[in-house]
Amino acid sequence: MSDFAGMEDLLQDFLIEAGDLLSGVDNKLVDLERFPDDLNLLNEIFRGFHTIKGGAGFLNATELVTLCHLTENLFDKLRNGELAVTSEMMDVILEATGSVREMFSQLEHGTQPHPADPALIERLKVAIAGQPVPVAVKAKAPEAPVKAETPGGAHEPDWNLLYSAVTNAPAVREVKPEPAKADIEVIGPAPVEDPEEIIKHAIGRRSSDRPGASAPGGRREGERQRDNSIRVDTARLDQVLNLSGEIGLTKNRLNALRSDILSGRNDTETLHALDLAVGQLDLLVSDLQNAVMKTRMQPIGRLFQKYPRIARDLARNLGKDVELVLAGEETEIDKTMIEDLSDPIIHLIRNAVDHGVEDAAERRANGKPEKSVVRLEARQEGDHIVILVADDGRGMNAERLRAKALQKGLITDEEANTMDERQSYNLIFLPGFSMASQVSDVSGRGVGMDVVRTNIQKLNGSIDIRSQQGKGTTFIISLPLTLAILPVLLVRLGEQPFAVPLSMVREILPIDAKEVQEVGGRATMVVRGEVLPVLPLAGLLGWEQERTPEYGVLMQTAELSFILAIDSFAGREDAVIKSLDDFRPKGVAGVTTLSNGQIVLILDMKEVLGAAGDQRGVARSSLVKKNVPALVG
Amino acid sequence: MGDPKLKFLVVDDFSTMRRIVRNLLKELGYTNVDEAEDGAVALQKLNAAQFDFVVTDWNMPNMDGLTLLQTIRRTPQLKHLPVLMITAEAKKENIIAAAQAGASGYIVKPFTAATMAEKLEKIFEKLGKTAA
Repeated sequence: MSDFAGMEDLLQDFLIEAGDLLSGVDNKLVDLERFPDDLNLLNEIFRGFHTIKGGAGFLNATELVTLCHLTENLFDKLRNGELAVTSEMMDVILEATGSVREMFSQLEHGTQPHPADPALIERLKVAIAGQPVPVAVKAKAPEAPVKAETPGGAHEPDWNLLYSAVTNAPAVREVKPEPAKADIEVIGPAPVEDPEEIIKHAIGRRSSDRPGASAPGGRREGERQRDNSIRVDTARLDQVLNLSGEIGLTKNRLNALRSDILSGRNDTETLHALDLAVGQLDLLVSDLQNAVMKTRMQPIGRLFQKYPRIARDLARNLGKDVELVLAGEETEIDKTMIEDLSDPIIHLIRNAVDHGVEDAAERRANGKPEKSVVRLEARQEGDHIVILVADDGRGMNAERLRAKALQKGLITDEEANTMDERQSYNLIFLPGFSMASQVSDVSGRGVGMDVVRTNIQKLNGSIDIRSQQGKGTTFIISLPLTLAILPVLLVRLGEQPFAVPLSMVREILPIDAKEVQEVGGRATMVVRGEVLPVLPLAGLLGWEQERTPEYGVLMQTAELSFILAIDSFAGREDAVIKSLDDFRPKGVAGVTTLSNGQIVLILDMKEVLGAAGDQRGVARSSLVKKNVPALVG
Repeated sequence: MGDPKLKFLVVDDFSTMRRIVRNLLKELGYTNVDEAEDGAVALQKLNAAQFDFVVTDWNMPNMDGLTLLQTIRRTPQLKHLPVLMITAEAKKENIIAAAQAGASGYIVKPFTAATMAEKLEKIFEKLGKTAA
């Protein structure tokens, strides 16, 4: 039973808005550690807690109100110069935000928050009193937290009385603290030490949540609730409204023309008007599609802003000095993707902080600045969003990665010998591969990187690694702008059409059997000096090659360029992807309906290549070889 | 009871709070409500259109509620507007500051529709007296 019957809407609104606010506060706290005297920061943090307190009051979340109130008081003194920020104080403040986050997650589950750790409350009060803050001690004899103020009207001054009074002598009734609450449940969070705790605190999730721990697409109940609403810029909404109005007008025009035509008018003028109206409708509908799509687009900064705190806490835990630098926060990305990216990015940051960057001593020895920088950057490149997680650490050692994979029996000797650097880096995405020779607390459980890749691929994205020994490692995530509409090229095998993402298509060329050459046992073609492998679609799909493909589609992915050999093609189309929820054959991203009503499978080229690609890289593709005779002969 | 056609401006940087206040006003029968996210935006709106009542938060970025109130009282064409301050602050000095700046009323969060009705009633009463 929810504690918030009748207030669910309000609660959801509050959680979304206050959650954003708290993430902002968290980031400002990380900044505050560097600039402890920045008045703007202090003011903004003060206002953050103040606002959360105000909202929480309406939800009757008294414990949250109490905690925010104390923290707010502390910041009030800090911004008035009565107190100065100390590192012990920072710890208390950070713990308090963690506790606030924890309370949010309790609210999210429809229960009133439990009281904060009495020890935390006590330390906050000590800090407010301007005394040196004791280091976190686990729940000592709990002194009852005094509610400093009483919400509600009971102690409000008589306004009229006051109004007349202030002109002369202020005579306000003292606001009395409520009697202390006697029994307090000791539940609050233990001092933060476990990395899972850090992440849990920072993002308000259960500790068992790991990247990929959730079933595909299956989000936890509480989150699903929260995910259902979206904040949209009113300007964008207005545009949608405007366009649908315009479409209405065009529809009226078409109706009028239809009556005209049905009543026998079919002169050039009428037909021309019809042509014009249909053309206009076409334009408007595609504008509307874009506008609707835009309502789903959210700045990725909303996701990014919770990471500096996580990075800080993790680094501190490992005794490292790491700064997470954010860039491109304004880059917009589909909302569903933002949610699904959260965990993979956490994992990459965790990986960078733990494995990527060296400790201070090693950095000093290598002549690097002691403070390491991890960059989290997003930008739009064409119709893709690229997200980078880059560290300035020691870089990856291809040799060692191969040895490790070999030792774990993930690859064979032969495979190891034929791998280039990039392929070696990609070994860390294999299930069961753990990079750290010594398993540390923070990462290196051998679970994770493979799940990161799986999760990215679920979003039709790809992940790649660049690394330079001694200089650092960069993870590059590439994602489509949106998942809903996909421009595709229709190709045919025999009579069967397939759709391939247009974004990967560079050009279409005829295949002349004489130009197909065998290089290293693989069919290739030379296009403007570039030697490209020829991969027959039939072969990739595991079909019998019935005839020699006539056309090649030059396709380009982040990893490779190749020529997809097909029988014929049927043009381009804007496919609205219908996903196959329960039944998803490998290599099929979804289905779409053509204008003539025919159903077409949309191929997930990365997955289609996946099987062949891994083999090509590792064991030589038998697939391509098998089809060469059919092609050449 | 005031005229249900009265036009309210609700000023708060926290949209959840604006919604709460808007809902409470609606419960009381006032449906003509516009919103502003800080004092600066509120002033623009007040200068651009006719409003009958301002309900404002105290702590806001750009321009806080107290400054908004002071500015309203200084501006000849706005100074008669009733301004109800809503804040989470129940500190004596805040209440005094609001009163000195010429607030028509002061509500401490959280509050119910009944509290709000009572406050509005008092303000209307006083307005009625001055008008009469």
